[in-house]
Amino acid sequence: MHFFFLYIDPGSGSYILQMIIAAVLGVSFFFKNFWLSVKAFFTGKKKAKQEDKEEEKDTAE
Amino acid sequence: MTPHPASYRDNSGFVFRYEGNVYRYVHPAYEAHYTRLMGSGLYEALLKKNRLVAHEEVKDAAKFGFTNGSVLLPQQIPFISYPYEWSFDMWKDAALLTLEIAAASLKKQMILKDATPFNIQFYNGKPIFIDTLSFENYEEGKPWVAYRQFCECFLAPLLLMQYCHPDTAKLFSVYPNGIPMDVLVSLLPKRSRWNMNTFLHVHLQAKLSGRQKPAAENKFSRQKLELLLKGLQSYVQNISLKKTKTTWDNYYTDTILGDDYLQAKTKLVTAFISDIQYTTAIDLGANDGHFSLLLGNDKTVIATDADHNCINELYLSIKRTNKVNLLPLVNNLLTPSPAIGWANTERESITARLKAGLVMALALVHHLAIAGNVPLALIADWLHPMGEYLLVEFVPKSDEKVKLLLQHRKDIFDGYTPEDFKAIFTAKYTILKEQQVGHTNRVLFLMKRK
Repeated sequence: MHFFFLYIDPGSGSYILQMIIAAVLGVSFFFKNFWLSVKAFFTGKKKAKQEDKEEEKDTAE
Repeated sequence: MTPHPASYRDNSGFVFRYEGNVYRYVHPAYEAHYTRLMGSGLYEALLKKNRLVAHEEVKDAAKFGFTNGSVLLPQQIPFISYPYEWSFDMWKDAALLTLEIAAASLKKQMILKDATPFNIQFYNGKPIFIDTLSFENYEEGKPWVAYRQFCECFLAPLLLMQYCHPDTAKLFSVYPNGIPMDVLVSLLPKRSRWNMNTFLHVHLQAKLSGRQKPAAENKFSRQKLELLLKGLQSYVQNISLKKTKTTWDNYYTDTILGDDYLQAKTKLVTAFISDIQYTTAIDLGANDGHFSLLLGNDKTVIATDADHNCINELYLSIKRTNKVNLLPLVNNLLTPSPAIGWANTERESITARLKAGLVMALALVHHLAIAGNVPLALIADWLHPMGEYLLVEFVPKSDEKVKLLLQHRKDIFDGYTPEDFKAIFTAKYTILKEQQVGHTNRVLFLMKRK
């Protein structure tokens, strides 16, 4: 049985997995962002966007 | 031109040696990808941050005998190290570099087609990506072709180090194409399932591997891929090492070999090497790198030790202090990295790679001779081709540390005396300097190869 798998591309299965992971991470990032905006609403601080920070870092370096 | 023995996998081109330099041949089939790498600004962006090795295009490619394609002369890396010689934080930085480059490529409509740590070298204290042909144009809707390879080649060793023991990353030398997921899962503790990322990237992957691909494979998207890379980045960032204390932690501060000995030896080493000419050095059994750090910033130094913690601490201190001329590597001299891969020629043994102007073997010979049973004559034979100058310390049987080594075993080392040591080494070397270290019975020698 084990040898049967040797004839299947070793990368197979990773496509389905990448779909699952992207979905899970999508949900978790959504809630994280949601939580950050709730926090920002109550603390009055503006939520700094990750990408803006990265851009700043890029230009600084 | 004959390709380098490790350069046979990718049909986009290959690496070869010519008159002492390493070159890279680019096949016409790779042209479209290469043009985007250079034209999109990706190359400059990565170069600016020292993430990718620089190269220049060789104008006269015909001299190498190629009828088509082009030839690149990359910036030369002085010492090639292999992942199974890296410490935890070196692995982690290499993994993060791979993800950073993949994410940067995606912004320019490109992606890394492979994710192996052999594409990374440590240069000037930092990991740098050396495979210019790993970039390919990203086709919208495709998942990351190298995802599984990334998991097997980077996540697997990192997780073994985190959950099991730092030395288990050496398993990578048995599986240099990636530690299979089923092997990894059998080694990780059950509790590792409770980490969401470990569950998804490892346990679930091991379960799903071998499933047939679905017919439609272009329902993925760039946004999903960005998310995957971002997720992997934060996952790797959070993998950390449990601190375990080893014999060699704080070796100098904790033992009877305290300040006096260290100061006397530091002075002596500095004086001995002050008037010899060398540009490269190897520190064998470097411990925390105290003596490697004495060498000038203009020297290229390789510091090796069998103790993972020492090397990892040294790597972190190099990062902090910017002492970039030093490369720390984990290597047990009694079982050094072998030559591995196809026909045993892909990756050279560390013995074949370790060559320098100055070799330092301080407080080392007694470990090899008494703990490892290696006869002095074999030690001299091994050190001789390594470098022109040898700075070596002889620790006699009367020394506390040697007594400790002999405490629970029969003394079968009749040939381990200062006289034998000198007789054996003077057959191969000329002694330039010789002096007792402080108030101990230890003797430091500076020798030149005959």
